[in-house]
Amino acid sequence: MSFSRRNFMIATGVVAASSTVLTACGGSGGGSSSGGDAPKVTGSKTMDIPVGTKADSTGPAPEVAGATKGGTIYSLEQFDMDHLDPAQIYVSTEGAITVPIMRGLTGYKIDEKGGVTLVGDAATDAGTSKDGGKTWSFTLKDGLKWEDGSAVTTDDVRHTFERLFASFITEGPRYVQQWLEGGEKYKGPYDGKSLSSVEVDGKTVTFRLNEPRGDFNYTLAMRGYALVPKKHDTKEKYDKRPFSCGPYKIASRSIGKSLTYTRNPHWDPKTDAIRNNYPDKYVFEFGFQPLAATDRYIADKGNDQYAVPIFNEVAAERIAQVLTNATLKKRVLTQVDTVTYYWPINTTRIKDVKVRQAINWAWPHQQLQTIRGGASTSEIATTILSPVTPGYEKFDLYGTTKKPGGDPAKAKALLKEAGKVGQKLVIAYQQSDNAVKQAVAIKNALEAAGFTVVNKQIDKSTFYTQIGKIDNGYDLFAAGWSPDWPNGYSVFYPCWSGENIGDGRSNYAQLDDTSVNKAINTAATITDSEKANKAWGAVDRQVMELAPVVPDYHSIRNWMYGSKVGNVVYDAGNTCVALCKVYVKK
Amino acid sequence: MPRFLARRVLGALVILLIISAITFWLFYAIPRDPAMMSCGKNCTPENLAQIRRNLGIDEPITFQYWHWLVGVFAGRDYGGYGYCDAPCLGYSFANREPVFGTIMDRLPLTLSLAFGAAVVFLIAGIGAGMIAAVKQGKALDKIASSVSLLGSSLQIYFVGYIAMYFLVAKVGVLSQPSYTPITENPAAWFSGLLLPWLVLSIIFTANYTRMTRSQLVEQLSEDYVRTARAKGLSQWNVFFRFAWRGAMGPIVTVFGIDLGTLIGGAIITESVFSLQGIGRLALQSVDQSDLPMLLGVTLLSAGAIVFFNIAVDAVYALIDPRIRLA
Repeated sequence: MSFSRRNFMIATGVVAASSTVLTACGGSGGGSSSGGDAPKVTGSKTMDIPVGTKADSTGPAPEVAGATKGGTIYSLEQFDMDHLDPAQIYVSTEGAITVPIMRGLTGYKIDEKGGVTLVGDAATDAGTSKDGGKTWSFTLKDGLKWEDGSAVTTDDVRHTFERLFASFITEGPRYVQQWLEGGEKYKGPYDGKSLSSVEVDGKTVTFRLNEPRGDFNYTLAMRGYALVPKKHDTKEKYDKRPFSCGPYKIASRSIGKSLTYTRNPHWDPKTDAIRNNYPDKYVFEFGFQPLAATDRYIADKGNDQYAVPIFNEVAAERIAQVLTNATLKKRVLTQVDTVTYYWPINTTRIKDVKVRQAINWAWPHQQLQTIRGGASTSEIATTILSPVTPGYEKFDLYGTTKKPGGDPAKAKALLKEAGKVGQKLVIAYQQSDNAVKQAVAIKNALEAAGFTVVNKQIDKSTFYTQIGKIDNGYDLFAAGWSPDWPNGYSVFYPCWSGENIGDGRSNYAQLDDTSVNKAINTAATITDSEKANKAWGAVDRQVMELAPVVPDYHSIRNWMYGSKVGNVVYDAGNTCVALCKVYVKK
Repeated sequence: MPRFLARRVLGALVILLIISAITFWLFYAIPRDPAMMSCGKNCTPENLAQIRRNLGIDEPITFQYWHWLVGVFAGRDYGGYGYCDAPCLGYSFANREPVFGTIMDRLPLTLSLAFGAAVVFLIAGIGAGMIAAVKQGKALDKIASSVSLLGSSLQIYFVGYIAMYFLVAKVGVLSQPSYTPITENPAAWFSGLLLPWLVLSIIFTANYTRMTRSQLVEQLSEDYVRTARAKGLSQWNVFFRFAWRGAMGPIVTVFGIDLGTLIGGAIITESVFSLQGIGRLALQSVDQSDLPMLLGVTLLSAGAIVFFNIAVDAVYALIDPRIRLA
């Protein structure tokens, strides 16, 4: 899961550790609290998501104790969604906000205790595989309907996956496109051609993959693979107004301003094990800065009493006030996240591993944490994997725990050893107040260690385009990653495999190490999850020994909500508040 | 009068044309590629070229401007993105919508904000200025002058947050700032905009108080006012028939510019109160490098200022008949 410009802007903006990340698949509520003591990332429960049975996949969704139907849920958000075409969705907020209107073949079911299970969503179960994971079949449930009352068909499913190859689909995840047989030459369904590796037989759809993928059913739970009706596919324009097969549909939308959902009368709860549908309506309003939104949540007046955030977390300026006030704290959902924010080092420019290690030794973790809002919103990272991601192994190769403010002497000694004292570093960061503060702290720390630092501000809208170029001219830049589903593959292949280097790819450090590539490919084939997790932990250490990155922090997220919203729980599948579980208190 | 207005409108159109050409050139000459915004993360060179072709931005800038101008009057096809009906001010790649539609969506709020605040600051500002002028040198004058000095030194982002904290969150005498169309619920429209009107008008009220006072004081010391008094006209007649009318000219001129500027977007006020008007749209466009939207908003602002200047000229002509002959 890469990290959009919006995510970065928020992460480095006024929000303490706002970490809207791409559709991560977290897990069973590890490290969450509402009104209790703030959780720590380290020691939080690992986010494992087991595969559910056919019974688990059968609707209706478990009732929420005490929940009643009716009312309107509001939301005060900073930004509108960039995309609503599922094929273009790779951001967790977009994934979360579309849960009420979109369904995929599989999805994540939140149970009464906050546990999460992978189940069939539009499919009767979480899929069956053959050939060691090279062939996967899913059978559609009966009674699935689009918002116009027409049936959801296997033709729609086939079309959903074929349109992923269309030229206008440029933002969503690329896993399935890479794995489907014949995908490399396929150009989409709009010229009348079909993809033979997506087979339809009655109500069953079979996917033939070019490599064994034991976790293919997890991949399909990403919002990027939600169903699109063939009849109502408006191509590029679908991004503005998608068609619903969930419990709600879009009633109105003013881009950049508001989005309203009302009930979809054609949705049958018996077909849906994941979604409840308590409120009559959802009204999302955009344009609220985190501070303004937080103040309104604190004031808790009028419709704000029924408001719940998707994107806006408690503003850094108010975090202490909110978390130290017992009354306010009761209305905060705190959640440890799977994301790790880090600073990739361009290995094509900084080739000497000692220089890269020196950057790690000199890094001012503590100062940066303070700028972000302190320990209540983030925990200093020493690894690429988050402690709540399966496979995490605790280690600290560069003395961060002992000297969180950095060790300039050690860094200087390494630079001297490498004969690179005075090494020039060009650091790219986005134009935002917080990023500027962080850039100054980083510059000071690195210069104290013997580097010569040149800071370059980059326009927010083109930041990821610029750092994603092979010949980008920068040595160090901020990024972040959260797994698309709970294993190391969706972290290490996209970001650290030499096979994923190219313009616009997410291996920003351009690390191409034969032994790392081999380790990633080997770990990817291990089917035993315990052994696989151990292998990913070892890959993490192996990558960190080469120091192509400075791990910065793991985020702790705090969402404040109105006093009349019930059952605000975490949606680990979308790393956001679970919209389909809330209700309006009477 | 009709000839006067026709001449002014024609001149305004030429000015708008010149502004559009300069703005277009400035925005499109800078090294930013709007196609990249539409192309996305997994953009291939082929896709990028196709988008550039669809959007017509692979052409020389003069052709682009010509096509944009034609689009304003005849509409324009943006390939897969759809047809943009006339008046087409361009297509926003960030919003994936025609610019004109988005501007029209945000304009009612900004108009409500601008005209509502204008009513408040005109009544309060001119009223206080008149009292200060009449009571020149006395306690009321000193109070009005001091308060206006204080008011003009305040900032909206400061007053706005303080007012929200006390009047909305703590005391609860005013509603959370919000916008409901007046046609939908006039009471909600009024209560939702009352606080932004009051805060926005603080600075303007102070300026208008000072301006009205100084203009009236000047007019009241003019020979023709003295003559009117000498002829035995009542104080009321002298004040309103002569001095007030004479003082209004500069105030109307400034008001026209102020109103035009406000319609171009009260960026800070809209940001402080999380209102989605033209000002926020401009800010958002800058943030997203949404050049077509920025061009549209710039033209709207320029158009508003030009329009209100014409309106001011017309009013001026009514106040002072000599203008018609000029």
